[in-house]
Amino acid sequence: MKELPKNVVLEVEHLKKLFPVFEKGILFSHQTGSIHACDNVSFKVEKGKTLGLVGESGSGKTTLAKTILYLFHPTSGQVFFEGIDVFKTFRSKNKQDILSLRRKMQYIFQDPYSSLNPRMTVADIIMEPYQIHRHIPKKEWPIRMYELLRLVGLEDYHSERYPHEFSGGQRQRVCIARALAVEPEFLIADEPVSSLDVSIRAQILNLLGDLQSKFNLTYIYISHDLSTVRHICDEVAVMYLGRIVELAEVNELFESPRHPYTKALISAVPTSKPGQKSNRIILPGEVPSPINPPLYCRFYPRCKYHIPICKKKDPKLEEILNKHYVSCFRGKEKLD
Amino acid sequence: MPRTILKIENLKTYFNTWAGVVQAVDGVSLEVKKGETLGLVGESGSGKTVTSLSVLRIVPRPGKIIDGRIMFKDEDLLRKTEKEMQKIRGAQIALIFQDPSTSLNPIFSIESQLIEVIQQHQKLNKEEAKEKAEILLDIVGIPDAKLRIKDFPHQFSGGMKQRVAIARALSCEPSLLFADEPTTNLDVTIQAQILDLMRDLKSKFDMSMVLITHNMGIVAEMADRVTVMYAGRVCETSSVNDIFLHATHPYTVALMRAIPQIGTEKQKLQVIPGNIPNLINPPSGCRFHPRCKYAKSICKMKVPELEKVEKGHLTACLRWDEIKKTLLKERERAA
Amino acid sequence: MSKDHTKKEMTKKAVKTSKPISQWGIAWKRFKKNKAALAGLFIEGIILFMAIFGPFIAPYPPNDISAFMEGRTREAPSWDHLMGTDYTGHDVFSQIIYGAAPALQVGVGAAVFSMVIAVLVGSIAGYYGGKIDTILMRFSEVFLVMPAFLFLIVLLKVAMTITVAGFGLGLTILVLGILGWAGDSRAIRAEFLKLKEYEFVTAAKCLGASNRRIIFKHILPNVLHLIIVLITSSIAINVILEAGLSFLGFSDPNIITWGRMIAYSLEAIRGAWWQGVFPGLAIVVTVLGFNILGDGLRDALDPRLRE
Repeated sequence: MKELPKNVVLEVEHLKKLFPVFEKGILFSHQTGSIHACDNVSFKVEKGKTLGLVGESGSGKTTLAKTILYLFHPTSGQVFFEGIDVFKTFRSKNKQDILSLRRKMQYIFQDPYSSLNPRMTVADIIMEPYQIHRHIPKKEWPIRMYELLRLVGLEDYHSERYPHEFSGGQRQRVCIARALAVEPEFLIADEPVSSLDVSIRAQILNLLGDLQSKFNLTYIYISHDLSTVRHICDEVAVMYLGRIVELAEVNELFESPRHPYTKALISAVPTSKPGQKSNRIILPGEVPSPINPPLYCRFYPRCKYHIPICKKKDPKLEEILNKHYVSCFRGKEKLD
Repeated sequence: MPRTILKIENLKTYFNTWAGVVQAVDGVSLEVKKGETLGLVGESGSGKTVTSLSVLRIVPRPGKIIDGRIMFKDEDLLRKTEKEMQKIRGAQIALIFQDPSTSLNPIFSIESQLIEVIQQHQKLNKEEAKEKAEILLDIVGIPDAKLRIKDFPHQFSGGMKQRVAIARALSCEPSLLFADEPTTNLDVTIQAQILDLMRDLKSKFDMSMVLITHNMGIVAEMADRVTVMYAGRVCETSSVNDIFLHATHPYTVALMRAIPQIGTEKQKLQVIPGNIPNLINPPSGCRFHPRCKYAKSICKMKVPELEKVEKGHLTACLRWDEIKKTLLKERERAA
Repeated sequence: MSKDHTKKEMTKKAVKTSKPISQWGIAWKRFKKNKAALAGLFIEGIILFMAIFGPFIAPYPPNDISAFMEGRTREAPSWDHLMGTDYTGHDVFSQIIYGAAPALQVGVGAAVFSMVIAVLVGSIAGYYGGKIDTILMRFSEVFLVMPAFLFLIVLLKVAMTITVAGFGLGLTILVLGILGWAGDSRAIRAEFLKLKEYEFVTAAKCLGASNRRIIFKHILPNVLHLIIVLITSSIAINVILEAGLSFLGFSDPNIITWGRMIAYSLEAIRGAWWQGVFPGLAIVVTVLGFNILGDGLRDALDPRLRE
């Protein structure tokens, strides 16, 4: 157990996840390096709040989220959920503890097409958590299932149908219902709307918002779409190559970003106002390979504000203003 | 007065599947003027991709063009023979796909793929074609084009692959370019690079462009005019300013309101209720009526035609006149 | 508001009238449209009917040699003997009907037996991966590179010298089964490797599901379509192998098989063609039937052909 600060439900400390890279030999393969998917990441999430994780593909947001839930085995670091050491619990192989922790934290996937078993009816899918955890008496299962269906905006008759009979938005509702069946306190939503149609996205985002206020849920919301992040998050962490480069309260981040990468990311979003040409910062080049990244600032090769020290040392995530953390040597300056 | 380069009239493309006839494109009319960028906006199943495939007459089986006219430079493409179409595809009308990793053939080098296209339409020998390929790669911003031309598609990143695909599309200097969600699979910062590139190239090559997308932000930035599609039909066509400021079709209006804006704070989004209709058995009358908050009983019975709201602004709504007044009041109240 | 509500009610009713269809339902719908596959199903239906009701429909008992008594051996097809008689006076038509049962028993029995091994090995190797996977796959390679038919003959020869009397079909089933699983197990492993990365499997893990639940409830039902297709084609192969073995004399002499009938016909292949041609046709039709049935099932069950 660890005493967490008041209101904090989740604390991630120096979390690191490396994936080994192998080269095949004749008989044995040997490791030639590692993908630094998630490197020394620390943050806290307060009860009932939403933390946004933003970054481009390969920035490690999904790896981070899956490692928190022990779906990937962490290389090092610690995660505390309500004071419980998450990794220690999962490693202990104590079935009761593991199940009770699984009940508290749930995951909503990006692709509602592959995250539902095509051979199971919606009723089976939503009642499976009851079979696993047996936290409510069996005769209440169908009642609870129908309650959940209505809660996520589906109808009773949907229960006997199969996933392929639903549209993407409806499937995502089923996924949300399944996650809610264990009565979790904490949800990780991994790009929950990015594979949905524009007119459906708003429905799902509003649903997530409603559920949050109803059950006082805590979210980590992962997205590469900054405009949805602005809409549902309280705090935002920007990731680049496995690191958090900036972390701040949502309006603070969008209105006065300090890290050069955050600035470019925000400016790159097309604005929905015709004729208004944004002063877009075009980043040169592409995200470098996360295999054996440089020991200095990882953004250095694409950064136009770099100074000599950027190529010598690795910047730390520092609090430059109240609750505004930046990992940049020039974070305190106002760059244009 | 800009000349029209492409004019589609009442195009119908249906797919005969085992479950029934999918009316993917059902009476689409639109036009592209010379030198402009038309944003073709719609969600999945709206028929925007099938429309572009129909123009090139490469609709995959079991799809078939049932009816309509496709006038390209005053000639009906639907009356052309397959041989004649082959000369038009790639040379005069080119296409960029959404997924650059599958649109390039993985077993050939970039060089041979570019040379193939160039030689197909232009009388150049291999050396000249190669030189041209290198120039093209340079234009689309691939560093060290001379070296990288020997590489295979898997050696390029997603953004770079899309650049190569653009180079291939431009190799014969087409006069019309269809770009089907060219940046959807790319990251935001890479998307910004590609959009910038496409805007540059459009003026450099003096092309007209049809930009197919579901992203209103991209439309605002890139398009001159916009055609909005829903469930296989056109809802509204107008200049980009009118779409964003004075849209009259309820679907367009609702779509704009449902999109989160990066510039606004945490709040509830307005939603469009319901789901995208099934095109095997589409709603009668106006296909948007089951989700439309202004729908009346007439919307169920009568198929709306494109009507002129003002010059260059067409809308396919039976009640646009009334709705326009309501919207004006709503906008006034909001302001 | 009330208008909105009625609209909702209406769409609800419209959707509700259509019954939920499982993926198996869709597959059956698609299968029904495939004429060739239906023909395959029909052929196998007849063979199965012959195998079950053979004793009741065959015009002559299995060991009836009344024709021999009447001197009507090697008689050409006639109304008495639709496919003629063999040199000991057996009615060829009846013998073909009796031959259906052992052909199906060996074909289906060996296919199911080898599939059980294939599923066990394939699912464990595919799901757990790592060292277990490597070991099991090397093991399956041993069975793949083995000259199976030669091995079969040796095994059965040994069995025959030990048992002397008839050894029934069990041994053939056993041996064919043991030699036939390797290829199928690799196909199933590949499917497991693919499916275990699907998000519904991760979602189940996230809910706290055990490995056993994930394998049996989530992955296996999604591999079932592949298993069905593999079994169908493996039946066809086993029917041919069985015919080949009994043609060479490696089968229980007390059981009438099509392969043995062809073997006996060789002595008089010039004069009495019906002795060999009809059992040969029986094998061809049965195998062909399973093959087109398998193709039809593959098309009907293929998850990629959703639309």
